[in-house]
Amino acid sequence: MPPSEFSRVLTPGVVRTHMSATTKDEAIHELLDILEGAGFVSDRAAAERVVFERERVMSTGMECGIAIPHGKTDTVDRLVVAFGIKRDGLDFDCADGQPARIFIMTLSPASRSGPHIRFLAEVSRLLHDARVREQVLNATLSEDVVSALTGRS
Amino acid sequence: MGGASRFGWLVAGAGILLPSVVLAAGGAGGGMDGGDITHRMTALVLQLAVILCAAKLGGVLFERFLRLPDVLGELVAGMVVGPYGLGPLLGLFAPPEPGVFPISPELYGIATLASIVLLYMAGLETDLSMFLRYSVVGSCVGVGGVVVSFLVGDAAAVWFGLADGYGSPAALFLGTISTATSVGISARVLSRKNKIDSPEGVTVLSGAVVDDVLGIVVLAVVVGVSRVKLGGGSIAWGGIALVASKALGFWLFCSVVGMLSARRISKGLERLGSPQTMAAVSLGLALLLAGLAEKASLAMIIGAYIMGLSLSRVDAAHALRQHLVPVYNTFVGIFFAVMGMMVDLRAMKGVIVVGVLYSLAAMVAKVAGCGGPALLLRFNLRGALRVGVGMLPRGEVTLLVAGVGLSGGFIPAEIFGVAVMMTLLSTLVAPLIMMRIYDDRNGLSREGGDAGGGKTGLVSLELPNPDVADFLLGQVLRMFEAEECYVHQVTPRAPIHQVRKDEMTLTVQRQGNCVQLSCSAEDKEFARLIFLEALASVIKTFEGLREMDGEGTLRQRIVY
Repeated sequence: MPPSEFSRVLTPGVVRTHMSATTKDEAIHELLDILEGAGFVSDRAAAERVVFERERVMSTGMECGIAIPHGKTDTVDRLVVAFGIKRDGLDFDCADGQPARIFIMTLSPASRSGPHIRFLAEVSRLLHDARVREQVLNATLSEDVVSALTGRS
Repeated sequence: MGGASRFGWLVAGAGILLPSVVLAAGGAGGGMDGGDITHRMTALVLQLAVILCAAKLGGVLFERFLRLPDVLGELVAGMVVGPYGLGPLLGLFAPPEPGVFPISPELYGIATLASIVLLYMAGLETDLSMFLRYSVVGSCVGVGGVVVSFLVGDAAAVWFGLADGYGSPAALFLGTISTATSVGISARVLSRKNKIDSPEGVTVLSGAVVDDVLGIVVLAVVVGVSRVKLGGGSIAWGGIALVASKALGFWLFCSVVGMLSARRISKGLERLGSPQTMAAVSLGLALLLAGLAEKASLAMIIGAYIMGLSLSRVDAAHALRQHLVPVYNTFVGIFFAVMGMMVDLRAMKGVIVVGVLYSLAAMVAKVAGCGGPALLLRFNLRGALRVGVGMLPRGEVTLLVAGVGLSGGFIPAEIFGVAVMMTLLSTLVAPLIMMRIYDDRNGLSREGGDAGGGKTGLVSLELPNPDVADFLLGQVLRMFEAEECYVHQVTPRAPIHQVRKDEMTLTVQRQGNCVQLSCSAEDKEFARLIFLEALASVIKTFEGLREMDGEGTLRQRIVY
């Protein structure tokens, strides 16, 4: 993914450094709130269905405290991202059994092809670096999160 | 299973034996010259029946039991059932007379059609973007291989007494014959060792593109020069240059026009509707250009290759390939078997020793010609050897060139035999050496060491059975396509897929119950996530089916 595309979707407006959610469901709702608030989603209920259906089949909780709930739906007209941090972590049914602390939600149009998994892979790869992860977790401002991720890509 | 497989052998065996019984009973004896048309066509159909069954049987035998490339099995099957083998005994062919073309014109016609299909497909599969990406190393390796093996092949023909002058058609053809690489065989070994994406693997694949294009250009020149030589005796160097530039000119003109009009042709084809129709019409266009090439004193296969090459970059290329694969699979067997049939083992008695010497010289030249530039550019000695040996296998193009030489009267039967011998030897030897030298040790030179994705990541998943694995494989490929990656099958004969996007190259394949994805360490995360998504979608599909069958009523819903 070209760096320009990366910084187009990852802006301070879609980053929440202190999430209030305490459960997996709440976390997903909170991330959808961010997307809806930014005016990206035309049909909130449809977007919700897609993301929860995907979680039902297989959790998107990875390792290193990263979770990547996502879905393909035509309620968005391009790839959109919401980024959330919960320092205490919450149970997201992660692959390594650890609580999740960093959440990246991605929605992209179902009827068009384009980078969707590739975007998630790129963020996830960056966050596998313990230093980047620390920077993101210690950030108090949304801008710091963005620069921690885009500054390196 | 034992019963079923035995039945399979029985069917193939019957396919080989029954037609000959019918032919013998009818007293046909394969006599192709006289007879009414129905009689001749009956003989042709029965011969084709035997050829198809024997070729496929030979291919399976070689691949499954001897672990050798199936093309060799098809070639040998042709030798066995052909006019110089058991053919006359089976009543399938008339005993060949010296100086007479051993097979009927109609059978040769089918083989010619097969050769056009083969090279059209080879052109369609040419990966120009891959070649452009690794153009520097790939070009040098390809050019080095072609130049050195042409010179050595041409010279060896004279040294070993197979030709009487460096410029004689026989020497020129033996030079051309030793240039071609059949990358399909290397690709299969590379994938078995998970080395397709290694620097050596990528260099071999891109080098082979240059090699094919140059080989065809060389063939065009050689056919032109040989035609003049056969017609008017001698030709001055100036004359050779003229003929060569004419051939080169036609090649360049057709390629440029082809490339420029490819999009328009493809748009026109798309208007025809179904991909099946598109594929058939595109094959028609390949035949058209093949005919035009022959009219312009080039070989038909050159025209077919140019057509394929031109269409290889259009959007529809994938669909065209996909729908031509069954045609290709049928014809390729016929082609190799018929080539095997034309080998006159008795005529080769006198040239066996020199044939082996020539084959060795051609092999050494190829390894040196390809390995040399590799050594100079990016690789250490180990890596250069891997690249050189990877370029060794000869296959369809070698035989096609030899076939053009034989049918055009440019080379005698024993030289054709030598070409087949070289094909057999190099294709036998290369995979054996490759299996040994492609290990995990670094093949890059120190300066080139960090020049790109040397480290290989492997993501794999074992599934309960091959069917589920195939299903997952299909899903993985669709996921990649949805990410706007370019997916293509490396060879139509093996289920190895290459996935590319920008700087990324991955290989996806199924081995037994296992789906494997190999890539550079950098793309490993992407590969893993694609795997997860594909898996989730497969699970969802199966769940959906189960849900539908919730009350066990699914089987009652079948409407009949």
